Amino acid sequence: MSYFMNKSTKLAFISWLVLIVLTLISVYLTLFIDSRAIYVGVALLIVSIKGQQIIDIFMELKHAPKLWRMLLLSYVIVVPLIIGLIYLV
Amino acid sequence: MPESFSSNNITREDILNKHVLPGDLAMWFFILAELTVFAIFFIGFAIAEQQNSILFSEGKKQLHQTAGLVNTIALITSSFFVAIALNVMHKNKGKRAAYLIVLADATALIYIFVKLWEYFALFEQGIGIETNTFFTLYFLITMFHLMHVLLGMVILLFIAKKAFSGEYSDTKISGFESGASYWHMVDLLWIILFPLIYVI
Repeated sequence: MSYFMNKSTKLAFISWLVLIVLTLISVYLTLFIDSRAIYVGVALLIVSIKGQQIIDIFMELKHAPKLWRMLLLSYVIVVPLIIGLIYLV
Repeated sequence: MPESFSSNNITREDILNKHVLPGDLAMWFFILAELTVFAIFFIGFAIAEQQNSILFSEGKKQLHQTAGLVNTIALITSSFFVAIALNVMHKNKGKRAAYLIVLADATALIYIFVKLWEYFALFEQGIGIETNTFFTLYFLITMFHLMHVLLGMVILLFIAKKAFSGEYSDTKISGFESGASYWHMVDLLWIILFPLIYVI
């Protein structure tokens, strides 16, 4: 059991690292991307990936009933998608 | 030793494989309701920005992006401490879980101080909630989120106290999971709020 716990903690740590790196990338994106459309698209894609990490790893919904996992995951896909459409269309 | 075997027969993996929703069902409905309210705010902000792009662009330049970045890192780190506190609680180590929750709360304090510093810095420049549409929405959305952070911190202290006094165990952990899930929701909302208001 302790081995599994260590694995869970390790997974949470990797997720934390991914979240921090993605946050830094999204803040400094303008240094690398000139096009606003691409910049907004990438920044919102990063939001979705970060949301998935929080939902699946921190909230532990990866193993939850599919309906609840899908409800939460659809939130971090649909909301950024709508925002992206408003900005870019 | 394979993960699915242990001296206690039932492992955390077995529990996870049963596809059980962590925490109370009522908390998840509450989380859905909260997410819906914030979704309306986020979409409303994007629509208002689209209609007043110059005003919003100028407004964003007056915000302290580094403060927003520090707050993002603080909330993500706080959420991480809560996630490992739950893992520790599943090992029946209530006191250690309580310490981790207090650590998560202390990290969240960074967010509170930075947010208040941001507000006062804007007030000193003569910027307030009535300055223009951008700042009305900025203060409305971030203050609403701040209230959720404060509520989340109180919930975390409550579960830390209960964990410390041994009221949770590996099999009686629903309240702990509910509090942790609420805190992760607060983090999830900021993950969308930060790029929307400060970055894009």
